[in-house]
Amino acid sequence: MPVIGISVKQLNTLLGRTLSPETLVETLERLGCDLEGIAQNVFYSCPKCGVLAEKLENEEPASRCATCGYESETPFESAGQDQVIRLDLLPARPDLFDAGGLARAIKGYLEIETGLPEYAVLPPEIEVTVDARLAQEESYRPFIACAVVTMPEIDSVMLRTLMKLQESLHWGIGRDRKLSSIGVYDLSTITPPIRYTAVEPESMQFHALGKGDALMTPAQVLKDHPKGVAYAHLLEHLKAYPVLIDSKGQVLSMPPIINSDETKVKIGSTRLFIDVTGITPGDVQKALKTLVTSLIEMGGKAQAVTISDSKGKIVTPDLTPGKISINLPAAERWLGLKFTNEEAKNYLGRMRFSVKGDAPDYQLGYPAFRTDMKHEVDVFEDLAIAYGYHRMPLPLVQSMTIGKERPEEKIANVARSIMLGLGFDEIFSLVITTQENHFQKMRCEPGKDHAIILNPKTAEYNIVRAHLMSGLLEALTKNRIKPLPQRYFELGNIVLMDETNYNKAREERHLGFAVMGENMGYAYGRSIVDSAMRELGITGEYQALEHPSFIQGRAAKVALSNDLSGWIGEVHPEVLQNFSLTCPVVLGEIALARVV
Amino acid sequence: MFFSQNNALDTCATESKRIMTVEIREDQKRLYQILWESKDFVDFHTLLYKTKMEQPMAMGTITNGQDNGWLEVQEVLREEVVCEKDLEKILQEGIPERRFLGLLNQHSPISMKEAAGKANDMGLKINEIIKWGSLRGWMEKQKGDLVITELGKASIQEEDDDEKALKICLDTKKQKEIQKEYENGLRLSPCFFLHEFQELGFDSDRIKMLLKNRPELAKIKERTIRKIRLTDKGREVIPTLRVKEEEKNQLTSQDIVSGEWKNIRLRSYDVKLAAQAVYPKKCHPLQKIIQESRKAFLQMGFEEMVSAQVELGFWDFDALFQPQDHPSRDMQDTFYLKRPDKGTLPADSDIVEKVRRTHENGGDTGSIGWGYRWDENEARKMVLRTHTTATSIHSIADNPNPPRKLFCVGRVFRNETISFKHLPEFHQVDGIVIDKDASFTCLLGTLQEFYKNMGFSKMKFKPAFFPYTEPSAEVYVWMESKKCWIELGGSGIFRPEVTLPFGCKVPVMAWGLGLERLAMIRYGISDIRTLYGSDLDWLQEVRLCQ
Repeated sequence: MPVIGISVKQLNTLLGRTLSPETLVETLERLGCDLEGIAQNVFYSCPKCGVLAEKLENEEPASRCATCGYESETPFESAGQDQVIRLDLLPARPDLFDAGGLARAIKGYLEIETGLPEYAVLPPEIEVTVDARLAQEESYRPFIACAVVTMPEIDSVMLRTLMKLQESLHWGIGRDRKLSSIGVYDLSTITPPIRYTAVEPESMQFHALGKGDALMTPAQVLKDHPKGVAYAHLLEHLKAYPVLIDSKGQVLSMPPIINSDETKVKIGSTRLFIDVTGITPGDVQKALKTLVTSLIEMGGKAQAVTISDSKGKIVTPDLTPGKISINLPAAERWLGLKFTNEEAKNYLGRMRFSVKGDAPDYQLGYPAFRTDMKHEVDVFEDLAIAYGYHRMPLPLVQSMTIGKERPEEKIANVARSIMLGLGFDEIFSLVITTQENHFQKMRCEPGKDHAIILNPKTAEYNIVRAHLMSGLLEALTKNRIKPLPQRYFELGNIVLMDETNYNKAREERHLGFAVMGENMGYAYGRSIVDSAMRELGITGEYQALEHPSFIQGRAAKVALSNDLSGWIGEVHPEVLQNFSLTCPVVLGEIALARVV
Repeated sequence: MFFSQNNALDTCATESKRIMTVEIREDQKRLYQILWESKDFVDFHTLLYKTKMEQPMAMGTITNGQDNGWLEVQEVLREEVVCEKDLEKILQEGIPERRFLGLLNQHSPISMKEAAGKANDMGLKINEIIKWGSLRGWMEKQKGDLVITELGKASIQEEDDDEKALKICLDTKKQKEIQKEYENGLRLSPCFFLHEFQELGFDSDRIKMLLKNRPELAKIKERTIRKIRLTDKGREVIPTLRVKEEEKNQLTSQDIVSGEWKNIRLRSYDVKLAAQAVYPKKCHPLQKIIQESRKAFLQMGFEEMVSAQVELGFWDFDALFQPQDHPSRDMQDTFYLKRPDKGTLPADSDIVEKVRRTHENGGDTGSIGWGYRWDENEARKMVLRTHTTATSIHSIADNPNPPRKLFCVGRVFRNETISFKHLPEFHQVDGIVIDKDASFTCLLGTLQEFYKNMGFSKMKFKPAFFPYTEPSAEVYVWMESKKCWIELGGSGIFRPEVTLPFGCKVPVMAWGLGLERLAMIRYGISDIRTLYGSDLDWLQEVRLCQ
């Protein structure tokens, strides 16, 4: 998960307080943030585009700019230091991705400012028209939501914060720009109205941010621009690429790749135009709401934008609070806590809800960015957080129940003590294995009885084990230079196909063992199996087995009294060679129980 | 041999003060004899060879002689050069920086990128080449380019000291010579020592510098040589020592039956000396933790549950209210199966319908749902279960009536590339409590008991956000050995969207944790693959109770 550094100074400015980093860390942890600690950040300014890069104090200074791709042989000049709180982003809570959002939550929790945050949105003046082409498959990115935010004059800290938040939302909501992506521009460089359209890869040119000295076609951007190369996979299946263009033909951006150089936000910019485009409408709206409300928290004033397409007009962003009702006794039962009417209202206010009504029922308003409110239990969680996990009572349920083991675990535990007593070492091997080790190296045809993985990341690890033998042979391979004899066993589940089950498979708990050493043959294996069966109270009938993995005439199948089966055999020399073994090996495996 | 003997010289010496003679054993006499005959220091290994004494026995004699002021012991540090098994092949081909040197000579200066490319073509790593090449002074970086030095040019024809030295190590004739010396007790080991190269005219400091961190060629092992000689006092005393009557090491059955034991003097042991290490056969360290967690649950009255590793998407995701476009359902993260590719949804179509409506609009659960069209085909896809929470929801579906306490330990699968941090599978434990009194505080109380049972005395809870529980908490336990908090599991109350479609009308407390992480912390492992690597040395030496 990405880690972000939140400036202690910036946070305190937003809170209007001077809280110690330790107090802030404790509060954030109680709100559910994953804290990495307190650190010192050093900023480095890119000599080419001026954007700040941040590094930890003990890291190498920056010498490469992530924004424009500029690389220098000497480190960039330092642009000051800042104490930061480092935290892992929580994908479930994009409203806690930045100083603005975190300050809002801390204000509530510490009762600096409680209740529903008010977000005024001025009526729209700017219109964005959406070309019908964007809904077609060949240039699909149909959804767009926009806003205008007027900020206090942007300084380098704010610029950095804005870019970090954009990046975090690309990860947290946009799934790396796939579902939604954000563009932010200096509105003074744009002449509305704005068109959202699609263009052929070679049909036009613009100055892409970071490579502003050269005109590039969209196709060139994907090939030569660092951001283009990084995100080309999002567009490669399209015939025409999405672009935003103003009334004078100035390109704003080529979503989800890059902005134009002319319209970029600079130090000193004040009016920002923001667009979010994407392929899922919910995520597009969510990203815009989260970004705009955070900017308002940081001193911005929002204005709506009209989005018009062939179906009509809508106005974004919609920051109307959501509504949900809760029943206090239900919450008390769910949490195991008791609240007075005042306490409940206080806790809800601290979690930034507006509260109407009195116990037992409350009608709540929640901020537009809280898209996680599906059920009253979501509010119960906020009540619990406001109460504080650190001071919860810790009762137990009173019902009496009896502990009970699964039968296959019981028998496996007995089998384990038998095998340890017989001088075997227990091993664990992976359930996921390679077809080559499991079958080919054992001189077997793969057959149709084992499960196959469709999409393994490591191509060879592509099947689910159907026996324990290859895992045991791998253990012998691993230890082949160590003193002999060696004895290993494994207790584990194997999977076989079974049409009669809902999952078309069945699982058995097997005991497998392997012995390697001079003079270790079938008879030794037989002794082990007989000994185990005797102790486990299982009987079996042996029959000669012809099997490519074993030496002919030196292998047996055993039909067990538990209706399952097992086998023993001296391993075929070719199999030994395949596993780089140089000494005779006897293998045995018996099924102890049917699991599912 | 489980016990090492010590000689009984101490007691004998005190006793014998009265009679002015000291008794020693035959082998001890031999040892003193050798020292007596030599005017100079004698190596310890030579003494061992000549006296045929066991090492602990000889050490005991020497320590004793030292305590009595008869012997003087000198310790000399020697550095042994132990060649790696592939060394011969590496030297024949030329060490990487040498192989690259000729090419560099032709192309110098060469850009780093080009150098890396060329090295790669030769199957070499440029970092290695630069590291060792610069250390040797053969090449250097200049403004981002790689340049050959004068020394480098000279070295094309002329081997470096370490290369020459290693070739001597591999020389069969030389090897035979030192092997023979070793067998005759004249050497500490059948390997060459650094100081010997100095004597041959090489710069042994340079050899050491070049080989110190290069285990692929050879390891330099420090070994202590003990040298012993008699002191003046020793020279006076030794001739007066008398060999005492024979002592025995071990009684035989014959000795006991015949009564001969009465005449036998058994040597005393130094009971403080360490014995040879033996390792019992024991359960796998991960198994130990699995059994501990099972026991923790069983002691708390939990019943063990089970479900299949090969699972329907329905049970792994849909039943847990995970929307069908949830990132965890991506091919990136989840193993889907080619065989079996599709399974059968629950025969009770009412259940499937309830799950569908819960996803689409919340159904009868009081939720607004996810607001999308739920696709039955997606739910029919087979996966390798991604969590044992699939087992928990199976159990709720089988019998949702309280009171029930259930747990399982099982393997779960994630589509990961194998590395020191990740395996495509690991063990998870899951516990649930279905109870009319179940609540979030009860959950935390139960967790406290559970983790106490697992051996952690100090813990704290932190809010967390999981898709199928509300509220959710992460458990942190205090690791006294590392003096830090470690996150060790997630928990929460199942959302009504999870439990109500299966007819479960009371809250369900649920928690789980991954066992490999716990095993790694407990056994001090930094590579998760160790747990599944079956390395015999590790299996024997790892201590189960830590």
